[in-house]
Amino acid sequence: MRRVTLILRDDVDPYLPIEAEAISPEIFSKRIDVSVYVGNERKRITDVFDIRVDGEAAGPAATEIILVGDCHQVKRVGEYMTNGKIIVEGNVGMHCGDFMAGGTIEIGGNAGDWLGREMLGGSIICHGNAGNYCGSGYRGGRKGVRGGEILVEGNVGDYCAECLFGGLVHVKGNAGIHAGSNMKGGKLLIEGDCLMPCGDMFAGEATVYGHVTDFLPTFREIGKVTESGHHLTVFQGDVAHRNAKGTLRVGSFDRI
Amino acid sequence: MDYIINNAYVVDPINKISGEIRDIFVSNGRITDEEPKGAEVIDAGGCLTLPGGIDSHTHICGTKVNFGRYMSPEDMRAGRAPRRKGMRAVSGYSIPTTYGNSYRYALMGYTTLTEGAMAPLEARHTHEEFKHTPLQDGLVLTLFDGDWGVMRAVASGDIKRAAALIAWRLDAVKGYGVKLTNPLGAEMWSWGKNVECIRKPIPDFDLSPAEYIKGVIEANEMLGLPHSVHLHCNNLGKPGNYTCTIGTMGLVPDLNTKRQTAYLTHVQFHAYGGTGWNDFCSKSEPVANMVNLRPQVTIDMGQVMFGRTTTMTADGPMEFNLYRLHQDKWSNHDVELETASGVIPVIYRRKNLVNSIMWSIGLELALLVKNPWQCLLTTDNPNGAPFVKYPEIIGLLMSKEYRDREFATVHAKTASRVVLPALDRELTFEEIAVMTRAGQARALGLIERGKGHLGPGAEADIAVYPIKPEKIDPSRQYAEIIRSFAQTKYTMKLGVMISKDDQILADNQNRTFWCSPQVPKEYDMSKDPELIRTFDRYYTIRMENYAVDEDYYLTKSMKIETETML
Repeated sequence: MRRVTLILRDDVDPYLPIEAEAISPEIFSKRIDVSVYVGNERKRITDVFDIRVDGEAAGPAATEIILVGDCHQVKRVGEYMTNGKIIVEGNVGMHCGDFMAGGTIEIGGNAGDWLGREMLGGSIICHGNAGNYCGSGYRGGRKGVRGGEILVEGNVGDYCAECLFGGLVHVKGNAGIHAGSNMKGGKLLIEGDCLMPCGDMFAGEATVYGHVTDFLPTFREIGKVTESGHHLTVFQGDVAHRNAKGTLRVGSFDRI
Repeated sequence: MDYIINNAYVVDPINKISGEIRDIFVSNGRITDEEPKGAEVIDAGGCLTLPGGIDSHTHICGTKVNFGRYMSPEDMRAGRAPRRKGMRAVSGYSIPTTYGNSYRYALMGYTTLTEGAMAPLEARHTHEEFKHTPLQDGLVLTLFDGDWGVMRAVASGDIKRAAALIAWRLDAVKGYGVKLTNPLGAEMWSWGKNVECIRKPIPDFDLSPAEYIKGVIEANEMLGLPHSVHLHCNNLGKPGNYTCTIGTMGLVPDLNTKRQTAYLTHVQFHAYGGTGWNDFCSKSEPVANMVNLRPQVTIDMGQVMFGRTTTMTADGPMEFNLYRLHQDKWSNHDVELETASGVIPVIYRRKNLVNSIMWSIGLELALLVKNPWQCLLTTDNPNGAPFVKYPEIIGLLMSKEYRDREFATVHAKTASRVVLPALDRELTFEEIAVMTRAGQARALGLIERGKGHLGPGAEADIAVYPIKPEKIDPSRQYAEIIRSFAQTKYTMKLGVMISKDDQILADNQNRTFWCSPQVPKEYDMSKDPELIRTFDRYYTIRMENYAVDEDYYLTKSMKIETETML
């Protein structure tokens, strides 16, 4: 088991983005001496982080990476990871867990935008809030998250789970506008409130326990259900789309 | 810089040179007979040397293209290349950045591009994008398919007035030629309808597409324009539309001795049989036969290649039909009093029967039209495929073996709907040279401008491909053909080396050719009360703000004044 602890150095400019796709168990199980882009300059990772390594490498599955400090500008942590574990003690920047296919990312603070974009598998747990496009696809793309699980214990921004194709996106707080728009599969669960969800939904299951503001008129009511103590109204849609098979269940709503 | 290109295997169909080892002398941007002194010597080593490529129908600049970019940010994930020495960063596949277009065309040996459709009202945007397409000369065809003034003039039988209106507008928007996209379709589309082939008159104007096409062809010839009417026929993409295409070709008189009288573009999309998608089939044979019978008609293929792309056209209703088929993204645009447009992304799949038939039809047209000067190589970039697929199309046309191999991978039922497997013809290097540069130069009236050939006095647009025609059998070594047509050894434009292997070596070499027909005073429409009233009442822009400023919007303006017969 190898444990790599990365402590963000105090002299790092908090306003310069750091492109750190190299921070992933695959790479760290082989070597630590990688480079990252800070702004438009290529630097060694030791210029950005103080690094402590414990234990011997035995493949990505037995590699754990711990990020210490406010890493809100450190982007693409865990991109393409397939195994192992990343623990972020503070905040993390944009695109954390992009294209992730396996393993676990646990974020103690807040996550930036695009958390788990186009994820294929594995799991992400964010104890704080997540930004916009949490668990979504690429802008304009057809297929978003295809598998895996994302759990956000706080709130998420706009366009959460856009183009969701498979897997589960679970938000314990509130979501912004257009959660689950263009959904084509998978499950979306928002325990709090949200605004205008699931526009142009094709398929999949979305549930909002709280209140939906500006509920779209293009959903057809098909019944009522009780789940985990929440009384929900069940809709099918989005009927603006031909042969729509999506299910949207909401606690309460007011129409647009 | 002057150049001597030694030992070049020259194919120059306009000067009737079909594969001779020669030396080419370049001095002051032009090809000369005399050996220049102090010139840089380049050894072509017996490699295929052609005039610079000319694309006679492509969509690379303008609002439609840019809207494709807005709609498909995911397209920019492909084709990314970082900045290199002398090259900007580029991205995009079917609708790349303007520099991406320019670099890729340059590497394929292309030095002249024709934007196939520009809405006159949006000319500024088109010219601005051409300004940033640094390595090719640009020509812009201007849309007249729904021009109220011209429609009224043709309906009342006043062809001279129609010609005068076309002349005024071409001059105002710095256009090169006249494009008709689904003639009169845009007007009907503003009522949510479309025209049905060419015979039925549209309401309010009491004018049929057939009358309009004939009127505009006549007006075009009156103005003495270098290019003929550039026609995208009615009913594009509908099963059974080949009768409409043949009917349209039947309308075309033979009015010009130097070139065709009508240029029918992307005919692959217009050669469909059947009554619906279930019995959809190829009707390339009757269409090609009609082209063979009518020398006044030139067509281009509009070949479809499998993969992802973006379709864009001024044919608004057709794009709406496509949207209803695909249920994906769609954009639609109405250009006041002038034209319309639509954009949707598509994926052409081998496993799809209709797509496989479309792929076959384009190739069939190129193989069945006997005279290569009458059928030019295009994909209607990016509608059929992005232009980077041209080398593959050349490979398919030159090799029956390659066609058969590809045919084995398409939808199994295709064989019963097309004639492609029965065609044995394999095109030669000379025919390919005609279909990619010489034919275009003739069709666009550019031979007099020194384009499309390598005779003395011609502009030194030269492409040297890394292939020795004497030592290769294209019908078997098609992989090599594809590889070498994808990237030249040298591309030269007007005597400037713009690319060498995969390196871009120049910038700011682009010029814009445009036509200003010289009409007599009584036909000067800038003072015409009816046109002024049209602007005052209906346009959102004032007439005095309409014209494109030549100095500001055109990098290097190449004005062509034509003599008219008004």
